[in-house]
Amino acid sequence: MPSILKAEDVCFSYTRATVLDHISFDIQSGDYVGLIGPNGGGKTTLLKVLLGLEKGQGKISLFGTPLSEFKDWQKIGYLAQKSPVSQTRFPISAEEVVLMGLPSRHGADVSRAELKEVHAAMQQTQTREYAGRIFQDLSIGQQQRVLLARALVSKPQLLILDEPSTALDAGSRDMFFDLLGRLNKQDGVTILLITHDTGEVGKHISKFMYVDKNLVFFGTKEEFCHSPEVAKKLGPFAQHTIDHLHNHHGHCPLGAACEECKHD
Amino acid sequence: MIENFLSYNFVQCGLAAGSLVAASCAVLGVFLVLKRLSLIGDGMSHVCLTGVAVALLTSTSPVYMSIPVVAVASLGIMKLTQKFRIYGDAAIGIVSAAGISVGLLITALCGGFNTELLSYLFGSILTVTWTEVALCAGLLVLVVGGILFFYRDITATCFDEPFAHTRGVCTERVNTALVLITSVAVVLSFKVVGIFLISALLIIPPVSALLVSHTFKQVLWRAVIFSVASVWLGVFVSFLIDIPSGAAIILVNLLCLAGCYVWLKWRNAHGR
Repeated sequence: MPSILKAEDVCFSYTRATVLDHISFDIQSGDYVGLIGPNGGGKTTLLKVLLGLEKGQGKISLFGTPLSEFKDWQKIGYLAQKSPVSQTRFPISAEEVVLMGLPSRHGADVSRAELKEVHAAMQQTQTREYAGRIFQDLSIGQQQRVLLARALVSKPQLLILDEPSTALDAGSRDMFFDLLGRLNKQDGVTILLITHDTGEVGKHISKFMYVDKNLVFFGTKEEFCHSPEVAKKLGPFAQHTIDHLHNHHGHCPLGAACEECKHD
Repeated sequence: MIENFLSYNFVQCGLAAGSLVAASCAVLGVFLVLKRLSLIGDGMSHVCLTGVAVALLTSTSPVYMSIPVVAVASLGIMKLTQKFRIYGDAAIGIVSAAGISVGLLITALCGGFNTELLSYLFGSILTVTWTEVALCAGLLVLVVGGILFFYRDITATCFDEPFAHTRGVCTERVNTALVLITSVAVVLSFKVVGIFLISALLIIPPVSALLVSHTFKQVLWRAVIFSVASVWLGVFVSFLIDIPSGAAIILVNLLCLAGCYVWLKWRNAHGR
């Protein structure tokens, strides 16, 4: 499998505190990686460094190209933890927000083809009905779905999502994770997702990455769920995550494929 | 009376320059207000004092002397926020204080306040020359051309800078261009409304337009209309009742803002 996102010895620190300490991993095409870890463990900072939003040390390559030379940004869809909502009423429609996800070009006009792509992405996230409404007038959950449409509109090969489901109601969350699961399985989209919602999303995730300043664990879901050594090494937070993965909806997220649970 | 008013060469000159810088400031102000950088105009205007004082000391043109001084100060504000992680408003406060103190020091060294300096502090729209009108026209062409050409990059950067970066937009370049053009607009505005009131031209028309507009393009157009109308009305009122034109322009802008607010309340109350 070709490497999609590779980090080698990535470090980052604010003036005094070290946030990321020599993190290395290789995410391959088709992976669906759940990035987990305690609050303040550096998950969001890691995503920002990977995207060049914060300047860290170490080597990062996207689709085999060093970050500093990377130009094919339409291959990446990004959804941040915080919605870009401010107190100022930015008079921009949901449709215009999604349009921002298409590759940048000169001029203010919008072509028919671009509008078609925008509407298709909004259809995917069930936000087509809000197309003409002012973005800031939407609820936080509706805004989050519009922002997901913005991340999807360029048909990315890599989706990087920072706790995207926090503001969503149960129905929207199911739709959200089902959509991500479909994009991963049917279209082969590689996903890197920060989440605390390991129960529901655990059904789709293929690999876990556990970050607490260091990269403590990076491996398959099976290794993560059924390795007592891993649980012991990772401490109470990881044990809680593993319990959550097992107990959510009363069954193991690995389903019938899980050898361990058959013996329970 | 209006024909008589418009027949003077200095009035034509003043109105032309005033309209051109008002339009430029309105367009730039929309982006600055939405980026929460509206006070950068205030900081830059205070730095103008240094530029004007140096120009008076060296007997050079205050406009040409102030442009590089204010441009360097605006880049200083950006560096303070980016490199040293100082909050934007604090960075503006630091540069603004430095601008005033250096300006006052130089003024004191060359004999204190004189009439020429006071005319820059409070504005003297009727002393604008046709060369300055040409400069203002160039500024407007640069602002409108730049906004139209880079419309998507600029709106994306103002709306959501991190996301714009992940679309390949060089957000640092967009921000630098925005503050550099604003610094030129600020310098060209100080004859129109005076150093003390420049920031009002950058803030009040966009805020009024934001209150009564539904789309981003509406905001841009309405801010320009409010701003240019306030210059014409302000200059006319100052001519009629002999009051400082800069103050009159800003008071008209404030009345416009109040009117927009009342209209917004009325519209909300009647569900329109």
